[in-house]
Amino acid sequence: MSHLLDAIMLAQSNVLAGPLTMYHYLLVSAALFTIGVIGFLSRRNMIIMFLCTEMMFQAVGIALITFSKFHLNHTGEVFVIFVLTIAAAESALALALVVLLFKRRETLDAASWSLLKG
Amino acid sequence: MTGCCSDTGCVSSDPRECAVSNVAPPTPEGRLLEQIVNPVLLFVCLVVGGLGIALAMPRRGLSPQVLGALVAGLAFGVVFVVLGIRAAGEGQLPNLFFYIFALIALGSALRVITHPKPVYSALYFILTILSSASLFLLLHAEFMAFALIIIYAGAILITYLFVIMLATQAPTESQAEQMSEYDATSREPIVAVATGIGLLIMLSFMLARGVGEISPNAAARTSPDLLAEFPRKILRELDQRRVFDAFERPTPTDLAEAFDVQRRTVPLVVEDVEATQALLEDPISSVLFVGEGSGQTPEETLSQLSQGIEPGFAVTIHLPEEIRVSNAEGVGHALIAGHPMALELAGIILLMAMLGAVVLARKQIELSEEEKRAQAHRLGDTIDAAGGGA
Repeated sequence: MSHLLDAIMLAQSNVLAGPLTMYHYLLVSAALFTIGVIGFLSRRNMIIMFLCTEMMFQAVGIALITFSKFHLNHTGEVFVIFVLTIAAAESALALALVVLLFKRRETLDAASWSLLKG
Repeated sequence: MTGCCSDTGCVSSDPRECAVSNVAPPTPEGRLLEQIVNPVLLFVCLVVGGLGIALAMPRRGLSPQVLGALVAGLAFGVVFVVLGIRAAGEGQLPNLFFYIFALIALGSALRVITHPKPVYSALYFILTILSSASLFLLLHAEFMAFALIIIYAGAILITYLFVIMLATQAPTESQAEQMSEYDATSREPIVAVATGIGLLIMLSFMLARGVGEISPNAAARTSPDLLAEFPRKILRELDQRRVFDAFERPTPTDLAEAFDVQRRTVPLVVEDVEATQALLEDPISSVLFVGEGSGQTPEETLSQLSQGIEPGFAVTIHLPEEIRVSNAEGVGHALIAGHPMALELAGIILLMAMLGAVVLARKQIELSEEEKRAQAHRLGDTIDAAGGGA
């Protein structure tokens, strides 16, 4: 019985312990960031655009935690906490602004505010 | 591939060696891109994935959205499958959970930007958050994983959902099924995708200049000298092992000074000889007295110790491996001890954001001159009444 348990534990730790490099995590982070950039540039709904900025924050968070684990200290994780703080503050303000803008124009289209270009 | 502990695998080798080789900065001798994934394949897959995203962006008329999503998903999938097969080819099973969660994160991120309905986009974003929290868990960043779920999926995304529902026109009977123009079409999808994929290609090739290994064993470890900052934790752990029945209890400050970071040892002074003998004979607590690399068998060390024990005698206690600083403790220490000023500033920023949101959300009431005068009169009356009463 205990042999079986040992075998299961070993198999599990092998599955968990593949040779992952930093590159794997950084590639996920870069891809997530890029998808966020594409969404921010091409979507027209203002709420979705802000959602895409949140996605970019998220990607940066993955990269920071990867570096933090690579260098065996916690500064990267602490920085992710500050990124989360700024993301929360930003979303509160941005969403309040979006609601105000929507009340004025009855549309969420970012292009309808293009006269701000001057 | 020299300079990495990948070839032997960290499961079998001594985790401490791995941690040491992980601390070393990535050198040009570290893994290059060719050793991880074929660059040509990566390039082709990224371009195809970009085409797929461009097809999948919402548009009016003939919509090959499903096709585009499939192409993009397949292209990104191929990259990760190849990454996994490469890893398997080196004689180790790939880290399955990483590939699963990375694919879920990227796939749902793709749906966030391609789904025409904002509510669904927000829900897919929650899926992205959850799967990247799982990636944090794989990296042994437990505190951040759960903080992410609570803050992002729990708080920020709910705000988003509220605003999405507040800021949509109530559908009339005739156009109940019709989406608004700005949701159904996208703005310059080709240019946006070209920009994005250009960025991704550049990033994915630049990031591969000598990347280091992250083994789960090393990721679970923290910086070895961090334990010296937690004397109370060491005292607590030793207390659980009933060490202070036999030894004098040092103050946390003394313990922190006496703690040997490299060898994880701390000298303690014997107070009660019989209790010390009992500790030495107990198989569980006797581990504390046996160090590694002294060249003696544990029995020899123990018998040598038990002969020379007398009150006032200092005995070296070796802290076992399982006494280590947990992730939450490490993050808390780095946050409070390392960045107290930034923490205060973050609080101020949150306060300012709250004030700003209140100012923005407050209803602006325009009062005419007449109404203002009436208001002032009423106020004056109230003050008079209050003064008369007193």
